[in-house]
Amino acid sequence: MAKSIASEFTKGLWKEVPPFRLVLGLCPVLGVTTSMKNGIGMGLATTFVLLCSNILVSLLRKVIPAKVRIACFIIIIATFVIVVEQMMQAFAYTLFLDLGVFIPLIVVNCIVLGRAEAFASKNGVVKSTADGLGIGLGFTWALGLLGAVRELIGTGSLKGDVFGLIHWDVPNIFGASFEPFGFAVQAPGAFVILGLLLCAMNLIPSK
Amino acid sequence: MTIAILVMLGIGATCGIILSVASKVFYVYEDPRIAEVEYFMAGANCGGCGFAGCGSAAVGVVEGKTGPSVCVVAGLEAATNIATVMGVDPGTAEPLKSLNACSGGDRADDKFIYNGADTCAAMTALYGGQRVCSIGCMGKGDCVKSCQFDAIHMGPQGFPVIDEFKCVGCGACETACPKGLLSVKTMSQRLLVFNQEDHALAPCQQTCPAEIDIPKYIRLIKEGDYEGAVNTIRERNPLLLSCGRVCPHPCEEYCRRGLEDESVSINQLKRFVADYEMNSGRRFPIACAPDTGKRVAVIGGGPAGVSCAYFLRRLGHHPTIYDAMPKLGGITRYGIPEYRLPDDVLDWEIEGILNLGIDVNYDTCIGKDFTIQSLRDEGYDAVFMGIGAWKDYTLGIKGEDLKGVSQGINFLSTVASHPEKTIPVGKRAAVVGGGNSAIDCVRTLLRLGCEKVYIVYRRTRKEMPANEVEIVASEHEGINFQFLAAPTRVIDDGQGNVKGLEYLQMELGEPDASGRRRPVPIEGSETILDVDMVISAISQQPDIGFMEGEPDKENITITRWNTFDNDPETLQCSVPYLFTGGDVATGPSLVVDAIGGGRRAARAIHQYITGEEITGTPRSLRSRHIPESLFEVVPGVIKSPRTPMPELPVAQRITSMSEVDLVISEADAAHESNRCLNCCRICYDPDQKKAQDQNAA
Amino acid sequence: MEYIEIIIATIFVNNILLAQFLGNCPFLGTSKKMETAVGMAMAVIFVLVMAGVMTWLIFNYLLLPNKLVFLRTIAFILVIASLVQFVEMFLKKSIPALYAGLGIFLPLITTNCAVFGVCVLNIDKELGFLPALVTSFGYAAGFGLALIIFAGLRERILIARVPKPLQDTSIALITAGVISLSFYAFRGMV
Repeated sequence: MAKSIASEFTKGLWKEVPPFRLVLGLCPVLGVTTSMKNGIGMGLATTFVLLCSNILVSLLRKVIPAKVRIACFIIIIATFVIVVEQMMQAFAYTLFLDLGVFIPLIVVNCIVLGRAEAFASKNGVVKSTADGLGIGLGFTWALGLLGAVRELIGTGSLKGDVFGLIHWDVPNIFGASFEPFGFAVQAPGAFVILGLLLCAMNLIPSK
Repeated sequence: MTIAILVMLGIGATCGIILSVASKVFYVYEDPRIAEVEYFMAGANCGGCGFAGCGSAAVGVVEGKTGPSVCVVAGLEAATNIATVMGVDPGTAEPLKSLNACSGGDRADDKFIYNGADTCAAMTALYGGQRVCSIGCMGKGDCVKSCQFDAIHMGPQGFPVIDEFKCVGCGACETACPKGLLSVKTMSQRLLVFNQEDHALAPCQQTCPAEIDIPKYIRLIKEGDYEGAVNTIRERNPLLLSCGRVCPHPCEEYCRRGLEDESVSINQLKRFVADYEMNSGRRFPIACAPDTGKRVAVIGGGPAGVSCAYFLRRLGHHPTIYDAMPKLGGITRYGIPEYRLPDDVLDWEIEGILNLGIDVNYDTCIGKDFTIQSLRDEGYDAVFMGIGAWKDYTLGIKGEDLKGVSQGINFLSTVASHPEKTIPVGKRAAVVGGGNSAIDCVRTLLRLGCEKVYIVYRRTRKEMPANEVEIVASEHEGINFQFLAAPTRVIDDGQGNVKGLEYLQMELGEPDASGRRRPVPIEGSETILDVDMVISAISQQPDIGFMEGEPDKENITITRWNTFDNDPETLQCSVPYLFTGGDVATGPSLVVDAIGGGRRAARAIHQYITGEEITGTPRSLRSRHIPESLFEVVPGVIKSPRTPMPELPVAQRITSMSEVDLVISEADAAHESNRCLNCCRICYDPDQKKAQDQNAA
Repeated sequence: MEYIEIIIATIFVNNILLAQFLGNCPFLGTSKKMETAVGMAMAVIFVLVMAGVMTWLIFNYLLLPNKLVFLRTIAFILVIASLVQFVEMFLKKSIPALYAGLGIFLPLITTNCAVFGVCVLNIDKELGFLPALVTSFGYAAGFGLALIIFAGLRERILIARVPKPLQDTSIALITAGVISLSFYAFRGMV
């Protein structure tokens, strides 16, 4: 039992890490990863919604009638999205402004609804928690990685914090003569760099 | 706070009411499986599958446009569940398995050197691929990549090999293959496949009226998998013991080895595995689809009826055979003599088929005990008519009513019905005709103690329609052949008995419409053959006297040969519930033709009673050949002698009804199966290359 | 003039797919075949305009007066989902020909972030009714344009020789990057 919970958790971190392996939920992946800070922030917000909706859906899975289940899931998710919105406005307002429309958009993120439907509605609370946490954190590190790569190439340095708790500041990693490559933090760069990262992931076997 | 709750409730209630009213007002029926399939999908409508949303992907699955593994989000478990939903489609609750049709792969030559993208889809875009074979596998492995269950691998010969245990029948490979070589089918669907112009078929398989996969069963014999070989034959022909003995094997005429060497003894190999099963002391299991509850009446328990009943049973239906005789087998029992097909062999074979769950009513005769209409009234969903062609044509000459004159099938069945297989015969007998029945009559007469037996035939030996092996065997046994002789009257001895047969000598004239030179009588050449018994065995036609009492007779069309008119592709008659096959539809023909007809009718009956549209095979090959598969020369063949048929010595065999042809030994079967070139549509394994490979190893 | 500017800005300059990153799942999902892409583009235009109008009305006449702005997300998703479902049922029964071409794409749009995103953007920018309507149409047309261009390119890529690790989504994303770069040239126009 413990082993299977652990595996539900870890599969999200590597084997099924959403944007790379499943190639889903790409809008925030492309939209907010101009810096590592934004990426991680977005990832954590999504993780919160994913975790809460997974728990609630799994608790209610026997009560919700099959026919209207999708609508119910959407409402559950929307509720938690509102919670996240309100919390971020209160505690992380600058990040909230940076992420903009992508926060309410969590409600239509395929990963969140997909996990609710494919996993939480069929499994118990403990497993669903592990699943939600695993997929969410996998999503977070993927966003963080993409954000870090884009920030590094685009500005030459890494700087930021997570909700004021952890700070990092890595200046001029390529040396002073490095000319920041603005393309990376612009829209086209998002596509190209994600494409190249996917290519790199394909070179590493998933099993 | 209250307002918030009220507003949300208001919006929710309004939406809910509008939607539920709309769902009633705008209700449209759709396949319930769509909802079931959709249930297992992730429901995220993400479009990751390439379909427009989960609903449309579910429709795609149900309509067979894509496979159960379509949903990329829901993963493996959902794919398995969806496969289950699709599997429980009524009547096909059998596992779907993928099947690769091409066995060419690297054996096929290349037309050009291809240097493009490494996928089959891309290669097909360029002149249909680099292989010479227009339908063959290109070996780039799009199917291997498409399989999410690790069930397909590229085999050593450049075509994919499927691991049946891992295959879940999701259908991804079928979609991926641009050549349509991979097909995911249930057993039932496989039983109902007929040769098509664009199939990967060796010339022998194109020729076989039952469409047996000959290269496959010979390959299995070579590998020592006799059970696999038997099962392969049984997918197309349930009467392998009988066919292994009596089939004139038209397939061997088209054997590619035959162009350079003696053809492979295909039929003896069939007999070898069939006998192997019978002598092994157990019956190899035969799978049947789950019961459908549909009942079909099969009139006539000959090869066509038994074959039709066998395939219907395997498809899950309940056939009941009605036969006028006390035992099943029809012409194979009552028309083919004991020395060619022993009763105990036939009994064993038919018992195995009936054991699948087929009911039989013996000694019930159409027209006397029941009619087609009465069967319909009893609640049968469809009727198969397979009564054969049992009515002998008479010679139409003077003296045919004398004592001592009889007809071929009549004579043979009287002998066969006798428990000791013996009836009194004359001392000297003449048999008129040149077909297999005539040969059967003379050889039977000889065994019953007739001293001098003549065959009277109006053309020459070259034109005789009987099988060459049969003619040779009767020559060995000392039959006298009177060629170019046309009987004119039977001579009376004054007491109503036969005293002789008068005939006119003929000579060959100009060729007629059939290309054979027409025999022309020589004036004043009357000759009398001194015989006390005459059998006319010129041909037969179906005995359809019962149609007089048939309530629905106006609607059932009969041809001028007294056969039932039918659609040659579906074998459906002019009334939709009636299907027909075998001699009653084709006129006198081969056992193996009747078996093929039984299966063809079973397919149409299956479609009819399950409410599907009755369709023939598109680009059907019936008795045609694929031009590109027929060669003039076959390079690379090293001559190797064909295994001779073991026979009982003449002296021993003409005194008894013991079986004449014997089965080949296991060593000979190994030798003979090794002679097979393992042909496909274009590819084959040349002996020279095999020899080189062996030397290299 | 104002509306022409909005149209140019929404189709080319701020293309919803290539510059705003909304609706990328169907962008990759339904662009494998030209046929599907065209159907999807039409469906998005249809729904986006309707959803834009509906959500604008709900927000400005229901949520704003009652000080319930925080309920925006949940109210919008409910309305969009119901709208799509209703339109789907209506088309299926009443205009089956249109449904066959367009209807099957509708459910996909329920959770299309482009639709939801545009509705939210309209509100965030505090647009009036007509500008909101035109903006919705412009974004939807931009979505369609980018999707169809992309589908055309992907059909070509299918028969090109792509190194193994780059195959499928990876090369598709890089292609999207190049299209995005070309749309970049419209910057500064408006």
